[in-house]
Amino acid sequence: MEADSEARQEKPISPALSDPERWVEDHGDYLFKFALLRLRDQGKAEDAVQATFLAALRGGTSFAGKSAEKSWLVGILKNKIFDYYRKASRETTFTDLQFYDEEEQERFVSNGIGQGGWIHELGPREWQRAGESLDQEQFWHAYRNCTGKLPEKVATVFNLREVDGLTGKEVCELLNITESNLWVMLHRARMALRQCLEANWFANNR
Amino acid sequence: MKFWLNKIKSAWAALSPNCREAVRAQSELLDHPLPLINRIGLRIHLLFCVWCRRYGKQLHLLHDQACKHEETLTVATPQKLSSEARERIKRKMQENK
Repeated sequence: MEADSEARQEKPISPALSDPERWVEDHGDYLFKFALLRLRDQGKAEDAVQATFLAALRGGTSFAGKSAEKSWLVGILKNKIFDYYRKASRETTFTDLQFYDEEEQERFVSNGIGQGGWIHELGPREWQRAGESLDQEQFWHAYRNCTGKLPEKVATVFNLREVDGLTGKEVCELLNITESNLWVMLHRARMALRQCLEANWFANNR
Repeated sequence: MKFWLNKIKSAWAALSPNCREAVRAQSELLDHPLPLINRIGLRIHLLFCVWCRRYGKQLHLLHDQACKHEETLTVATPQKLSSEARERIKRKMQENK
């Protein structure tokens, strides 16, 4: 993830092709959804979208085609979001070691013979035709719902690593958290997500 | 002597993880390398444990596919930019032209 200059990621092609007036109509919803997924707060998401459009106005005005335009705007928005995280990480911590701590323990035999083994009824089920599921749009709605249930800090960490594809080191730098805390949070988030999807999607054997 | 006993103990522990440890190790492997001895222990555990094998498969599937579906996930967010916010942003853009 390059965090360098926001609006100068690609050169504009020709001034006549694009129209900033139209940007809000064409891309406002998508940018808002993108921001909301990551910032979890309507006001913050709106601010990020506004900041993106204003930065875009300063940086350049045109692209050949809506999808190149959208990518460029998303790039600016990503940087705005990262700036927000950097600032926020100085004021509050992004570490959350409470989440899923008990639930994680409760899935395994706690003592005696077979300690640490999966409790039979709670073990992972076989996922029928999992590959096909992941091609369906509805599946990703279910995924979105499940990640929506993660508490904010855990969701932030999870999204940056799994959806945005930042490396562990990059996430740690951005959010000012330790690597070992990152790994714990990711482990629990992945476990919770897997469980949620199994219960809400795969259990219905779609 | 105690030092070596402890070494042997932790090596043994690394070579024979239980499910709880194996599940955690599989998650960590997505993020950073583990010492060889832990990787060997995990492999051995996976040879015998269907549940942990399943868990690993599912974990990898979700991990690999998530970043390929960024757009679908974004679009799946139900909320939209409110018309009030829309107008506000347009006004701001006008002011800043």
